[in-house]
Formats: sequence, C-alpha cells, structure tokens
Amino acid sequence: MNRLEVEFLGVRFPNPVVTASGTFNFGREYAHLYPLSRLGAVTTKGTSPRPIAGAPTPRITETPMGMLNAIGLENKGVDAYVADELPWLKAQGARVIVNVFGDAAADFAHVARKVSPFADLIEVNLSCPNVHGGRLPFAHDPAAAAEVVRRVKDATDRPVIAKLSPGAPLLPVAEALEAAGVDGFSLINTLLGMRMDLERKRPVLGNRQGGLSGPAVRPVAVRLVYELYRHTDRPILGMGGIASAEDALEFALAGARLVAVGTATFADPYAPVKVIEGLERLLEARGERWSDWVGAAHTPD
Amino acid sequence: MTQPSLELAPERPRWDDHAVTLVASEPLGPHRRLVLAMPSLGARFRPGQFLNLSVPGHLLRRPLAPSRHEGAEVELIVTPFGPGTRDLVALPAGTRLQALAPLGNSFPLPAGAAALVSAGAGAAPLARLAEELLRTGRHVHVFHGAPSAEDRTLVRAVYERLGLEVQYFSEDGSLGRRGYPTEGLAELLAGGAEVTVYSVGPIALMRAAARLAIAHGRPGFVSLDVHMACGVGACLSCAVATTAGQKHACADGPVFEVREVVW
Repeated sequence: MNRLEVEFLGVRFPNPVVTASGTFNFGREYAHLYPLSRLGAVTTKGTSPRPIAGAPTPRITETPMGMLNAIGLENKGVDAYVADELPWLKAQGARVIVNVFGDAAADFAHVARKVSPFADLIEVNLSCPNVHGGRLPFAHDPAAAAEVVRRVKDATDRPVIAKLSPGAPLLPVAEALEAAGVDGFSLINTLLGMRMDLERKRPVLGNRQGGLSGPAVRPVAVRLVYELYRHTDRPILGMGGIASAEDALEFALAGARLVAVGTATFADPYAPVKVIEGLERLLEARGERWSDWVGAAHTPD
Repeated sequence: MTQPSLELAPERPRWDDHAVTLVASEPLGPHRRLVLAMPSLGARFRPGQFLNLSVPGHLLRRPLAPSRHEGAEVELIVTPFGPGTRDLVALPAGTRLQALAPLGNSFPLPAGAAALVSAGAGAAPLARLAEELLRTGRHVHVFHGAPSAEDRTLVRAVYERLGLEVQYFSEDGSLGRRGYPTEGLAELLAGGAEVTVYSVGPIALMRAAARLAIAHGRPGFVSLDVHMACGVGACLSCAVATTAGQKHACADGPVFEVREVVW
C-alpha cells in the first residue's frame, strides 16, 4: 500500500513531494544522487520565450532562518530547454511541472505551447513584472493575471496551476483566476525583502531587493494555503520553508494536496527525498494516508 | 609561448554530501586553520576544487577551497568576515558537519614555471596548487599580499612549509615590500619569465594579475569567489560574465582562464 500516492488534476503522483521552481534547475545536477522518478515531480526553473541573463551579483544572501534571492529569472529560453533538458528529464521517468513566464500574456502562452509535450502540469509564474502593464507583477493585477491564465489555457491541453505571490491580495486574484479557468494553485512565491551592507552602506543584493524563502516564511505560507483552501475547490500545491515531513503535514492540514521543497535543497540536496522518507515512516506508524491529512484542519471538531 | 599542458578538465568525480568531523581549529593570525576528517570522500581534491560546508545555525553552506589534502584530512583556511564564517571559526574540534564535495573544476598545471599571486586566504587554494607543482618538479614563484604583518603566520603555514620562498608585499610596509603583490609579478614578467600566472584573492588583485598575464602573452588562471547557495549549478546565483557567455562559478569554475573573464 502506497500511503503517499495522490491524484492532482488527473495526474497520479507516487508521493506529494515536488521540487520548487528555481531550486532544482532541470534536475540534472542532482540526478546522480537519487532517481528523479523518486520525487513526486520536478518543477523546472522558470522558462521564458527568450534567454534572460538575470540580475547582477550578489544574487543571494542569507537571512535569519532564510535567504533572499534575486536571480533575475535567468534562463536559457524555452527553445534550449525543449531541445535538451526537458526530453532528458522525461527520460528519467520524472513527472514534470514546467514553470513558465514572460513579459506579456502571449509570451506565457508561447512557452506553455512549446513545453506541453513534456509537462504533466504547467505552473504559471505570475510574480514576474508585467512589462507592458506598468511593470507591476501580474500577480498583483487580477485582470492581467486572468488574461495570462486564459491565454495559457488556450495554448495547452495540460492542467494549468497559477503560482501566487504572498505580496498580492489573495482572494481577489484567486477569484479572477478561477473565472479565467485556472485548474489549481501553487503558493507561496517568495516574500519581497532587503538586506543592507553596513560597510558599503548599500543593499547587499545586486538587484537591491530579493525574494525571501526558507523556514522564516513557513507560517506565512501555511496561513495563506489555509485561507485559500477555504475559498476554492481547486487543488493546491503548497510551499514555503518545508524541510521535513512534519512541515509537509502542516501544509497538508492547511489544504495542500501537493507540497514543494525548495530552499531546503540548498542546505541539503537530499532534502526532498528525506521529506518523502519521513512521510512514509510517519504515516506508516500512524496507519494513515497522505490524503487523510489534506485539508483535515478544516473539518469541524 | 608555452601553453598549459592541460585544459580545464571537463570530467570530474561526482560530488556527494559527506559527513565530516572538524578535528582541529587553530588561529593563524587573523585567519583560522580548520582540519576536517572526510573519510567517505574517496576522491582527492584537485587544486582549486572546493567544498560547500554546513555551519550549525545557518541555512546556507559556505564554499571553501582546501589548502591541503592528506589522507582523509582536508585543511581549510577561513577568514571570519560575516556571521557564518564567524560561527564556523568558533566551532570546537569534534563538531560534526556536512560537506558537499568535491565541487568545481581545478587549476590546469602549467607547461613550465608558475607564478602564484595571492592575498589573504587566497593563499589556500594556491598552496594546494603549489604542492602539486613542486611534486611535478616545476619552478614556483610566490607573491603574497598581506594587509599587515599578521598574515606572516598564514604564509608560513601554507606556503613556507612546502619549502617555498615567498615575496611579501603589504600595504603598510610592515611585511616585505610596501605595495601589492602584482608589482612582483610585473617585474618577473618584464624580465621575460615564461610563467603561467595563477591568482586568488580580492577581485582587484585578480584583475590586475590577469591584465599583466594578458599584456605579456602569458596564460593565467583565477579562482572566482561569487556568492552561491547550492554550490552545484542549480540555483544560478554565482553568475560570471565570460567571453563565451554567462557562466556560473560553482559548476563552470571556480577556475577561469584570465582571457575568458569579462573583467
């Protein structure tokens, strides 16, 4: 009996633990440590229509129980990944969630169309700037975010989940995305933050501000997953500072059907597998299944 | 002009996460010498390769290039400058840590003689290289820059134990000549020495050494220290602009030919 098996938008996952976009690249760096098919899925590095060089260095800095990053969406562009990394990743037997973004709704759709043959799910990164709409992130503009989802849904037959930003109003954005036909949600993306260099009297990061991740953000993420679960019937991929089976179960209780391990992989490349193994042990000892925990915090006493 | 006998080696042993024990920690002037026991490593660190070391209480690991590797024992030189390195140098012997290793590429060995140009703890990876150069019978020039005479203990520990003669340069003149170690390199190159240049230290030092190597038509290599998280090529933090496009210090480096780097 596989206590961890879970169905998400018609896709069967042997376990609910996936990698978070941007923390695992396309998996190649870690493939010699464990079979990538051991993971629930690999979520790939955010992919845009054309290559992006990214932000000036330093791009990362450690913070209390977390880190700030401003990679600046560096990626080789969709054509390079479709030619090389995505076919390789599928050949590993991994389930694949492809994270897509662009400057405009049509760009998201362009990338989604090209990656569809390799994607079990498409994750739309709405936290990038809307270049033609005042540079505010799509995630902060319900109408712009909805337009992205509509275009992506038209471009692919794969289930589409939208990655939500913790800096944006949760429910107005979620409702607009549901109306646009989104199939599910992932949250949270990083929280914007900043650190100062006392010697240089300047921000530490080359990009000045960056995204906060790691255990520091976990309670924020659990709350947002809990809040969203109360208002949607669509499945949720939860993430934010997960480093252990217990962390993952907190997200399950709040309503996450899948969970992602992100920053923890930088501290320990085996972290995703350790979370899976921890869940197997814990649920076996309790005689329970993962699905028993999903949303269980919402049941009346 | 003689070229290095080896290209930057593309194939390298696969890294893993190794349980290690801090077996010694002792002051070296403003730096600290740490010795790790890494019984499970198997492969030997090649000169310039690094490990990504856990620090209790810190989320991210710290990348460090060994100065020596004897049997299962790996020597590191750490200069405390931030919360992570300050906590690392305060750890007592016996502390159990985790290290991703071995990471990165390595310094190619030269066809003939070598000139090493270092400052501060940049001496560590170059000392590991010097050991290899001496073992293979190559002549080694060493120019080391120290902020003050305090670096004497470091240099004695890493270079002079190999029997190397070190030309010191210090900003205040308290150790060796007043000035920068690139001045010694400039004189050597001006004299027509057919050396391969290796430099590790602050970016300004490596840039100056690179310019001298290029100006004299000599091969040169630097090891770039760019803030990184994963250490293995996944997070894309440690971007380096090169003539062949953007690369990453952890997986494509840390060693780069001086002509490849966009300074």
